[in-house]
Amino acid sequence: MRKRERLEVIRDILKAIQTKKSIKPTRLLYASNLSPQMFKDYVNELLEKKFLQFEIDKDEKKTFSLTKKGFDFLQEYKVIENFVNNFGL
Amino acid sequence: MEWYNLLVQNKDLIKIIYGAIISLICFTIVLKSDRLYRLSLHNGIRYFRNAFFFYSLAFVVRYILGYFFYSYGLTLLFEFFLITAGFFLLHSLLWKNFYYIEKPYLSSLFSPVTILFYLMAGLLVFLDYLWCFYLFLFLSQIFIFISASIISYRNYISNRNKAFPRFYFLAMLLSLFAWILNILAAMVFDWHKGIMINAYLLNIIVFILFLFGVIKIANR
Repeated sequence: MRKRERLEVIRDILKAIQTKKSIKPTRLLYASNLSPQMFKDYVNELLEKKFLQFEIDKDEKKTFSLTKKGFDFLQEYKVIENFVNNFGL
Repeated sequence: MEWYNLLVQNKDLIKIIYGAIISLICFTIVLKSDRLYRLSLHNGIRYFRNAFFFYSLAFVVRYILGYFFYSYGLTLLFEFFLITAGFFLLHSLLWKNFYYIEKPYLSSLFSPVTILFYLMAGLLVFLDYLWCFYLFLFLSQIFIFISASIISYRNYISNRNKAFPRFYFLAMLLSLFAWILNILAAMVFDWHKGIMINAYLLNIIVFILFLFGVIKIANR
């Protein structure tokens, strides 16, 4: 199987969250199909870029959800992917 | 040769039009790629956008401001912007090979790597200032466009099903050729106007190729 490109991994993580609206960290790890260390790196990067937000509710339940920025990224994903691939960026 | 004489007689006007066309093209590319950068925060898009930002500054400084307020300082500034733009363009193709994720500081124009580019460009401009010639500008551009041609050729080979990589490779080859013409004109033919006109035409073709690609892909 072909190794996923960085942008594809980001898309998969964001899509997994979008489908469920909000998702527990462990479920997201399974859905992303990454090693725990790589998952941590990607999620930290996405949190820093404010594509995701991390919430802890009253029952101490931890979840990730999409921000507007993350949602916009998914909407324009095809254009961004095409741009990056065509210009070799 | 009538058209050639006409061009030479109106060379100042031609230079302003040339500078305005390229600055406008670069500015459009910056706007289009900036939208995608803001959506994705992708470092490759950031370096690409920065490259055209510095190209637009370089052409405004040299051909538009330079016409109205000519000074040697503006020529050095032009050289600085041009070299910085080249570094950004090359780095936009190379950054994935480095094992770090670079985060912009303060603005997307500042980070350790971009500061290194500014320092290197500043050093090359300073050396040219000491030598009173464009030797380091020429050497840096030849190095940048040979490297970019090789990388874009590899990208074209691995993306044959996509339309733009072949144009990108062509643009890099034409840029290299334009710089070779520039060097020949400067070092061998005493700034021969016919050679310079051909270099200008090649540059316009290169920037139009980029604009075509950016508009075609970013507007999908």
